[in-house]
Amino acid sequence: MAKRSISFASVTTAATADAVALGNTTYPTILQGGSGTQRINIIEVMLGGQSGSTSQPQIMLLSRDSTVGVTLGATSTVDSAFDSATAALAAAPISGNAFTTAPQRQAAGHLMNFSFNAYGGAARWLAKDGEEVNLLGNTQPLGEVSLSAFTGTTAGAIGGHLIYEPF
Amino acid sequence: MLDHRQGPGMPDELMIKAGLPAGAGRGLFEAPTYTCSHCQAIVVLNPLRRRERAWCRHCDHYICDGCGLSLAQTGICRPLKRVIAELIEAADRGQPRDPLVWSTKLLLP
Repeated sequence: MAKRSISFASVTTAATADAVALGNTTYPTILQGGSGTQRINIIEVMLGGQSGSTSQPQIMLLSRDSTVGVTLGATSTVDSAFDSATAALAAAPISGNAFTTAPQRQAAGHLMNFSFNAYGGAARWLAKDGEEVNLLGNTQPLGEVSLSAFTGTTAGAIGGHLIYEPF
Repeated sequence: MLDHRQGPGMPDELMIKAGLPAGAGRGLFEAPTYTCSHCQAIVVLNPLRRRERAWCRHCDHYICDGCGLSLAQTGICRPLKRVIAELIEAADRGQPRDPLVWSTKLLLP
C-alpha cells in the first residue's frame, strides 16, 4: 500500500507518565488501525525543536498504548499520502492528538526514546527494510502507538512527522 | 540521528537514562539501530559497548537485552511478526479473540 505521513507543524509538549491520559494537543500524535485486522508499518519518525531561546529537554517516547484514543476531536496534525494517485482506504488509519477518550501510554510498551533539546535539537529514526514497527488492528496493545512526552520533559514547542504504511 | 550542533544539547545523565552513550546529546550523534524481533523495541547500537548483543537462535535475529534475559530464562521464542500472523489467521477463520494471545504479558521482555 501507499506510504503516508502524519505531520505536526508545532506542538507544545506536556510531560505525561505511563498509564495517564494524554492531554489533547500536548503530544505529537497517535496512530491507530482503521479496522480490527488492518496492519500498519511505521517507517520513520522525525522531531525538531522549535524553542527560540530556552533550553527545553524533551523525552519523547514512541510507545504502544494500553488505552486507545476514541472519537477524534480538533487535532493539529495533518495526515497525507505521499503519492498523489493514492486512493482512499475503506478503513483509514486514525491519527491525531485530540480525543474524547484520551489514549494512555503502556508502561511496558516503550519502543523508542527520542531525547533531545527543543532549543536547537533534532532527532530522526529511519527503519531498515524489514525492521519496521508493526501495528495490528485497532485495540490495545497492538492496535495503537503514541508519540508523546514522558515524565521529566520540559514543556516546549516541537514539530515533525511520522511516516507509515497501511496494508 | 540526534543533531544538537545548533544548540546547548542534552546532559549526559538524561542520555544515559535514554539508553544512549554519554556525549550523545552533544554535537551530531548517529548510530545504527535494529528492531528486536520479539518485542519490536528499537535498539540503538552504542558504539562504545563491548558486551555481546542478545541473539535468538530460533528466529535468527538480534533481540533487545530484556528479551534476551527472558529468552535465557524461559527458552521461548515468540517474534511479534509471528504473533501478528497468527492473529490475522485466526481472524480470517472467524475464530474469537484468544485473550491469552492478546495479553500484553506476552509482549513484555
